[in-house]
Amino acid sequence: MRPIKIAILSLTHGHSRKYFQTLKENPNLEWVAVSAETEKIKDVFLRGNYGVPCYLNEQEMFDKHPEIEAVVMASSNDKHLEQFKACAERKINILCMKVPSFNMDEYEQMMEMVEKSGIVCQIELELHYNPVMARIKQLVSGNELGKISAVNATNITLSPVWAFPWQNNPEQSYGKRIQLSPGDNRFRGGALADHPHVFDMIRSLTNSEFDYIYAEAGQNIRKDIQVEDNLLISGKMKNGISFLFDPSWSRLEERLEMPGPGWEIYPKRMEVNVSISGEKGVLLADCFGPNVYHNGAPNDRYTVQYTYFDEWIGMMDEFVDCIRNKKIPRINLKWHKETVEAMNACYESIASGNVVYL
Amino acid sequence: MESLKDQKDVENSLMDLLEKYSIPVRGPIQLFGSFKPDVLDLQPGYEFLESWKENNQVPLLTWRMRRKFIELKKIVIDRVIEEPCLFRISCRSSIDKWSLSTLLYREMDLCEFIGNGKIVSVQAIINDSDIANLILKLDNGILCSIEISTQLPQNSILQDRHEVIGRRGVASDLVVDTQVAQSSVYTFTKQGEITYTDTDMELFGFDSDQIDHIRAAFHVLKNRELIDEWQQQHKHLVVLLNSVFESGKRLEKINLETELIYTHETN
Repeated sequence: MRPIKIAILSLTHGHSRKYFQTLKENPNLEWVAVSAETEKIKDVFLRGNYGVPCYLNEQEMFDKHPEIEAVVMASSNDKHLEQFKACAERKINILCMKVPSFNMDEYEQMMEMVEKSGIVCQIELELHYNPVMARIKQLVSGNELGKISAVNATNITLSPVWAFPWQNNPEQSYGKRIQLSPGDNRFRGGALADHPHVFDMIRSLTNSEFDYIYAEAGQNIRKDIQVEDNLLISGKMKNGISFLFDPSWSRLEERLEMPGPGWEIYPKRMEVNVSISGEKGVLLADCFGPNVYHNGAPNDRYTVQYTYFDEWIGMMDEFVDCIRNKKIPRINLKWHKETVEAMNACYESIASGNVVYL
Repeated sequence: MESLKDQKDVENSLMDLLEKYSIPVRGPIQLFGSFKPDVLDLQPGYEFLESWKENNQVPLLTWRMRRKFIELKKIVIDRVIEEPCLFRISCRSSIDKWSLSTLLYREMDLCEFIGNGKIVSVQAIINDSDIANLILKLDNGILCSIEISTQLPQNSILQDRHEVIGRRGVASDLVVDTQVAQSSVYTFTKQGEITYTDTDMELFGFDSDQIDHIRAAFHVLKNRELIDEWQQQHKHLVVLLNSVFESGKRLEKINLETELIYTHETN
């Protein structure tokens, strides 16, 4: 197979670095360029010695590299629409970060652009390529638990806002500045906007859509950020399965500008734990465990050192397959729309204090 | 539920990986079975303890592919744990899957792999063919214990622990306050408690030992220079294994100042 010539845009997303190794090692990809939003980001990238040219201007990158066939859109959410336009015009395939837009008019525009241009657009929801999640899907679809009654899950992390400040900027994260609820001095675009995975997972596991959702935000753990950092969500799917989600930034972090060792204060910086109850029994799962553990450098704190983060391999394999064989990705814009609508319903519920029907 | 993967599946998945990553294969290979001339034989090193044809048989140190051991080694190499002094290993399994020799072979290799040194002395207490307790020293000064047992009931999951203790920090593959390895998925149904630990999406559905075998074979075919390195390590491990049983028999600590020169100290 002829390798796909691929570029990364912006480099402002927290997941950017996860692509570097995959783009280097996957023989079906040829990493040809990146664009960085600032000189500082460019300098940091160049220090990594990846041997890939870095541009401060996307247009210039596209002009100098007409061979680019696909991009990883590693940018803040407010940049996505313009980048979609640029890519659709050039027939460049898109791997978009987890929330293309919270504005459903914009979202429709994106769907139209993709449809008209005939490009592949895959959404980066890497949990689909996690081996523990694959096991959970196998057990559920194999009826090992019988009829499912409840799916509860956490998607708990530290807060990335110190390293990726756009995630503390409501306009850049949510698309506009909307007060979390009347009288609240916080705005939409925080932990919830960062964590679509569990919403997507339950749809995929249960083959059902959301019926109603209730969400409530707690007092912020970090008093000095302007978006929500913890919340709880409950509700029911249309087939009667109940759920309780915790998508909070409830693990404290060192306020590093550059993520790295010692970022976490709580030992495990990220967890996705799932519990499923069915008529035949119960399943408990940790999608990112077991691991190894230490209390060494740099901070002498007990720390989880993760042993696997291979999701990007499977995800990029699917992206390549869809481009070369003209397939539609599993996580495409149409599929993902209901997930984004459910997240918006959570914000509505927080604002109103009521259950929201979808 | 899916059926268990067999030897053919293991071989096919290796070929798929080689094709995916464009790794050329020069001549016929096998992952199982007895010696065949002109076939590159890629099996876990302990399979060659009885007889070994150096030209064709590559002893795979398959456990070195397991992520937890790669990360533990990285913690030591990257000096996250500084100045390691003590290394505590335990490994317990059932006799249907492992023997004392095969477990010792694995764990002594892991001791050197994670500890980043070579074993220079060994003192072993052995009970029949079931139990071995070793006190060893690496050439970088780390003192190590290895506890081996084959007395778990048949079909048990292997229970192991690897803990490195340094002047700065401790690293372990067991989480604090636990005695047994965690799994990623637990189901509680009429069938009782069933656990699953899936760590490799490219090889989803294979058990951990099968994954290690496939990954190790892929690794040496991708990095051919490793063949010689692992063959040398196999010879070294065979010497170590003999030293363990000799130490157990004589109740002596055996110093291995070099591969070939032994001195004996009476306990």
